[in-house]
Amino acid sequence: MDQPKTSLSYDELLARMQQIHWFHSIALRPGLTTFGPKTELILAHEEQALLGCLDLHGRTVLDIGAWNGHFSFAAKRRGAARVLATDSYTWTHPHFKGQESFELARAELGLEIDTQLIDPTEITGDLGLFDVVLFLGVFYHLFDPIDVIQRLRSVTGQVLMIETHQDALEKTRPGMVFYPGTTLGGDATNWWGPNPPLMLSLLKQIGFARVMYREYPGEVMYRGLYAAFTPEADPAIAAGFGVEWRDLEAPGVLDSLVVAA
Amino acid sequence: MTRAQDALPKAVAAHRWLQSLRLRPNLVTPGVVGEAHLLAEEEAIFGPLNLSGAHVLEVGAANGYLSFAALRRGATRVLATDHLAWTLPGADAQAATELAAREMGLGIETMALDPRALTAEFGKFDVVVATAFFEQLFNPIAALRGLRAVTTRLLLIETLQDAQDDGRPVMMAQTLPMPFGGPSGAMVPGWAPNPPAVLHLLHTLGFSRILYRNHPTLGSQRGIFAALLPAAPEGVLEGFGEPWINLTHPKG
Ligand SMILES: C[S@@+](CC[C@H](N)C(=O)[O-])C[C@H]1O[C@@H](n2cnc3c(N)ncnc32)[C@H](O)[C@@H]1O
Repeated sequence: MDQPKTSLSYDELLARMQQIHWFHSIALRPGLTTFGPKTELILAHEEQALLGCLDLHGRTVLDIGAWNGHFSFAAKRRGAARVLATDSYTWTHPHFKGQESFELARAELGLEIDTQLIDPTEITGDLGLFDVVLFLGVFYHLFDPIDVIQRLRSVTGQVLMIETHQDALEKTRPGMVFYPGTTLGGDATNWWGPNPPLMLSLLKQIGFARVMYREYPGEVMYRGLYAAFTPEADPAIAAGFGVEWRDLEAPGVLDSLVVAA
Repeated sequence: MTRAQDALPKAVAAHRWLQSLRLRPNLVTPGVVGEAHLLAEEEAIFGPLNLSGAHVLEVGAANGYLSFAALRRGATRVLATDHLAWTLPGADAQAATELAAREMGLGIETMALDPRALTAEFGKFDVVVATAFFEQLFNPIAALRGLRAVTTRLLLIETLQDAQDDGRPVMMAQTLPMPFGGPSGAMVPGWAPNPPAVLHLLHTLGFSRILYRNHPTLGSQRGIFAALLPAAPEGVLEGFGEPWINLTHPKG
């Protein structure tokens, strides 16, 4: 945050920021941080947990459901050669004005990031192959996450990083809970809560070779982080995965994640 | 015995049969599923309905037992379809079904079809029926959407169930040995929902009245759902007495 990257005055930038409903709190200039419910601290913890374990230098990164763009910006700052940010729901939503928010933040941060307005349900291999695909906070918003996760396999070169709400944690077998209407959190865009055994079996069935899991950074039981590696993944990309990350197929790991009802 | 009749047992023996179909008074195909079981399922699924003049689509037809039954019960057009059992290498159930149709003189149509690919352009059917539905589908959500897109009145689903002690809508994933050919030892990934999950999935997809009964011979291990679209006349419900229960409009 040295010199402002746009010609907007402080007041002009503040006015534009105030016209948008933000999700991410992003520091655009000294003293000017967007006002999202995801605080800078929460985002810093999530970013460290999700990206801190990856060597992104020279890698290509696809962000699915980027919204205001925190994770796209973070990937670029961490050395990614190319970042493609995609979204549709919040980007075209008249209240969230997500694409406008993304573009404002990108310009202000002066980061070179590609964008494409595309819904996860429409992604195909035509988008290209990316070393790292970020699928953060999106799985449970999909009525048909099975179809979308299959689509994501076709654009993942090495590793698919997933952050999701989860449920059915008391079950030892793979399963997911369905939330009709506004059952989950009063939000009609929430559909499914999968458990770790389900994520493992789904990801393995669609052709990922290895699935690692770690707890959400913070005392949140009903969210989990997954890293699914393709058979072709460069072992170097997983070199930074510390002890918090556990191989879901290692003996006892799934059992240790079961939570008493 | 005519020459043609002589040839039939040989033709039958050349196929691996999933269902026991009575092709002649004393010739039944050696199916994995027996006649009594099929008859009980047919009665449970079609018994409440008047199929006269109906256009019927069957998804997951195996050897077409329910499709033949629909035609015998008065349907004027019946399209029998299956996916894995009709397309996997070594699975010859479609040819077997067509042999049975010729032998019984029942004019069903047949087509290998992945129900995930169904859209409204495919056509419209008054009644769509699918048995052993969730358990053999990698993606039953997409398949249900497909069925919804081609149904004008009534969708009938028979499925393996699980998580019945859970009050929340839940779908459990599992893999079962492939029952219909394919490489030996092959497994089919699929799902087993509990009744609330099926109810709410169907409701979300636009079905307004949803009825349920346990499987006639296997009890609550398996369930049968009848889902009506708003456009279906109320009269369609008349045949659904005990043991059917109305999940969307419970009595009392
Ligand atoms: C909880 S936000 C996550 C944003 C960001 N990736 C993060 O982790 O902070 C959910 C994102 O999923 C996207 N999304 C995709 N499909 C959606 C759907 N069917 N309903 C709601 N949101 C959906 C939204 O546009 C939004 O950007």
